[in-house]
Amino acid sequence: MNPQSKKILLVEDEDFIRELYVRQLTKEGFLVKSVPDRQTGLNLLKTETFDLLLLDIMLPGMNGLQLLREFKTQNPNSPMVTILLTNLGQEAVIKEGFELGAQAYLIKASYTPDQVVSEVKNALSGGQSTPPPNPAPTQ
Amino acid sequence: MAANLKDYTNSLGLIPALGSVTLITMPSVLLLKIIFVTVISILLPVASSLLTHNFIISAILGLLLAIVSSFLVFFFLKPLQDLIKAAQSLESKSKDEIENLERQRDGAIAEKSKLDEILSTLVDGVVALDFNKNIVLLNKAAEEITGYTQAEMVNRPIEELVHIFYDQEEITPKTYCQSSLNQIAKLIGKDGKESKINLSTAQLDGGVQTNVFCILIMHDIAKEEELEKMKLDFVSMASHELRTPLTSIIGYLSVFLNENKGKIDQSELDLLEKSLTASQQLLILVQNLLSVNKIEREQMSVSTQPIDYLPVVTKAIEDLKDLAVQKNIILNFNPPSNLPKIMADPIRIPEVITNLIANSINYTNPGGKVEVSLQVSPNEVTTVILDNGVGIPKEAIPYLFNKFFRVSNQTQQASKGTGLGLYISKSIVEKLGGKIWVESEVGAGSKFYFTLPLAERKSEGAINNKTFTGHEIQAGALNY
Repeated sequence: MNPQSKKILLVEDEDFIRELYVRQLTKEGFLVKSVPDRQTGLNLLKTETFDLLLLDIMLPGMNGLQLLREFKTQNPNSPMVTILLTNLGQEAVIKEGFELGAQAYLIKASYTPDQVVSEVKNALSGGQSTPPPNPAPTQ
Repeated sequence: MAANLKDYTNSLGLIPALGSVTLITMPSVLLLKIIFVTVISILLPVASSLLTHNFIISAILGLLLAIVSSFLVFFFLKPLQDLIKAAQSLESKSKDEIENLERQRDGAIAEKSKLDEILSTLVDGVVALDFNKNIVLLNKAAEEITGYTQAEMVNRPIEELVHIFYDQEEITPKTYCQSSLNQIAKLIGKDGKESKINLSTAQLDGGVQTNVFCILIMHDIAKEEELEKMKLDFVSMASHELRTPLTSIIGYLSVFLNENKGKIDQSELDLLEKSLTASQQLLILVQNLLSVNKIEREQMSVSTQPIDYLPVVTKAIEDLKDLAVQKNIILNFNPPSNLPKIMADPIRIPEVITNLIANSINYTNPGGKVEVSLQVSPNEVTTVILDNGVGIPKEAIPYLFNKFFRVSNQTQQASKGTGLGLYISKSIVEKLGGKIWVESEVGAGSKFYFTLPLAERKSEGAINNKTFTGHEIQAGALNY
């Protein structure tokens, strides 16, 4: 897999997290665009195609899955890989995301940015399509 | 007293008017006596003057008769004087008694209002029942809880007005008055008014004299539940808000450390490594608080599906290898050759296994060993995490899976853990239909076990094949 040919869209409302993920993914050679909300994300998806969507499922005032639902309705055959960015305890939303065609989910708090990058690489190379979660030990 | 007075006056031939000396009717005996004296005192001088025709003798006779009749009148009227005296003394006596009675009545009223006052200030509802389970007394709080007024309740059978339920089952007064209870119950009062109460009941020993058989004390727990909910809401909100910036702190620190290893001095790198470790500990605490919060709100949802368990365990071991290496602990996993699918929640179960292995690593001294193995039985898979660490004191084992419990043992590193991990693990395992337990010995190590049901239970197949009877299966189920 050549990261330089892969385009990633990151939808994340937390500025610090968004900047950090963009930095790390760009460093690895991916072409990354990032947006803080659903509407901007949807607009971008209409004009550009991406290989992978990193989607925060909890966006302000709404469920991030609405973006995925709308995109899938408009592009039912899109090959774009979707990874959900979640927090622990959002099982119901994660399951709904899988039903909408998401391939994987990452628990943000438990993954370091570098682990996120490696999961993105895995997903794009068709390796581990649904990595098991990696919750922090709850001692 | 009135009867005595009557007897006394009757013996005198008089009928008195109570509280007065006025003679309403003159009794015949006394009348005859007076008439007799009057007649003698008139007739005798007349007769003597007629017989003697001597004025002086007549005058002397008349004088004598007057003296005799005066004595007679005095003698005859003596009882009347006694009666007057007696009546006077009776009047003063009855006055005293009436005053006394009035005082007693006032005292009783004061006692009752004191009792009413005390009962009305109680925040808990109090209802007293007689032997027929009729309500004899209740206070204001009981009126509020039941919705009935005092007038509507007193002297009415309690079971006609108030219905009490434990879980879904109605409990009759016969049951709750039989023994002393202290239990949370649902009360349905007037027009279906529902209250959640803590009901305590007590039987009265001296109830025969007072005709009070049973006391019900109702503590309304709605307000406490509301406060508890507010507390849980606050913890949930605070934890969510804490987690977002913590995620950023951990992310930035880990990136900085990765990029600067070897570039800056190790002693300086240490400062940041410690910041990262502390941030991660804080994150664990926040996540645990959120999990406990979910368990307590009964919102911890698990959804089971058949899953391949081996990758879950392998992944957990992989993730914790670094921690084991850091502590110089050997982490082993012996995968079984053939592992059937289990029924579990793919999101929740890794949390349990990661937590247990991390615990074992944390409570094992450097140079020790942690071994993970899986045992397959017809109905379930048992995960065993064995260590040769510090072990758990015998007296701590019963409380080990309680919330916020931490072993207070000097041999254990006090700073480790929040006392929530095992509580959360137990909640998850039990929700998934499994069991969790521990065997341990101080100084020798600990062995944690938890079971998860197989996706396809062999015994269920046995039921279909009618190999076993229901009874045998029940007995089998009791064995594990």
